[in-house]
Amino acid sequence: MIEPSLALYGDAFERVDRHLEELLGATGVRYCLLVDRKGFVLSHKEALWAPRPPALDSVATLVASNAAATAALANMLGERTFSEQIHQGEQGTLYVESVGDQALLTLIFDVSVPLGRVKVHTKKTITQVAAILAELQDAPPVQFSEDFSKGASALLDDLLG
Amino acid sequence: MSTINFAAREINCKIVYYGPGMSGKTTNLKHVFSKVPGHLRGEMVSLATEDERTLFFDFLPLDLGTVQGFKTRFHLYTVPGQVFYNASRKLILRGVDGIVFVADSAPNRLRANAESMRNLRENLAEHGIDVRDVPIVLQVNKRDIEGALPTEMIRAVIDPKKELTLFEATAHTGGGVFETLKSVSRLVLDRLSQNK
Repeated sequence: MIEPSLALYGDAFERVDRHLEELLGATGVRYCLLVDRKGFVLSHKEALWAPRPPALDSVATLVASNAAATAALANMLGERTFSEQIHQGEQGTLYVESVGDQALLTLIFDVSVPLGRVKVHTKKTITQVAAILAELQDAPPVQFSEDFSKGASALLDDLLG
Repeated sequence: MSTINFAAREINCKIVYYGPGMSGKTTNLKHVFSKVPGHLRGEMVSLATEDERTLFFDFLPLDLGTVQGFKTRFHLYTVPGQVFYNASRKLILRGVDGIVFVADSAPNRLRANAESMRNLRENLAEHGIDVRDVPIVLQVNKRDIEGALPTEMIRAVIDPKKELTLFEATAHTGGGVFETLKSVSRLVLDRLSQNK
């Protein structure tokens, strides 16, 4: 079994992108990421005024790993899952909420932004995004030709010698 | 990385370095990090204890480039090798696309190699994955230590049917590191083109 994780593209991506943009505007958060459970960024939005974000690959990996560890804890305690995680620091907050079993919506914001407002708007976005991801489950898998393998091999030679 | 161009399609593959404690999994990633040009790799994240033993995982993203319009990226992970961190190992195997099993050549680690492979099979089974369905490459590391066991003796306890491609390595000097990574990456990409 192999589970390549494909980033959203085309119409689905644009719709998700739009919902994240709306969420960003409604809440006033700095960064908003949709991350899959393997730790890959599916979509990302940041406020115009926000400083350069940290490495998104690393943020996504740590968020997904943290969520996986939290889910394992939930199972040990007889829960199916803990759907949200909140990490509050002196300067800012990291808020993560599950989008079904497929993805995690991650928001990073300053202490001046009320957590309650973030939660309310996030729940609305999650319903919208979850519906799009559910549509994608029915989409036919992407087919790769043998040329793909050849092209990738050539790049591997370039990268790894 | 401040912005990502999602107009392009992406393929992301997860490769996990597995094996007994102190066999050189983190050393493999450190070597890759040190040799791959900065614009083709991200930051290396290590969740380690004070004495530099892996606590949860090490992580290194690598950009292969664009193949047929797909931006292709590898995420390399290590697992904590110590026996009592099995819960963490299980989590990191989630969604794995390829595995490098890093074995230790030291005579007193033969049993640890065998137990780690058994543990890998069990953990994959818990994710509903048969060990034969995932591309796995065997790296026999620390070939330069005094009294290193013969490679075939190590293989006999890990891969008695000789099904896995084997690489000898000295990860601390970089020997065999790229060859191993290239081999597992190729297997993963071949699987993709076979649409498995």
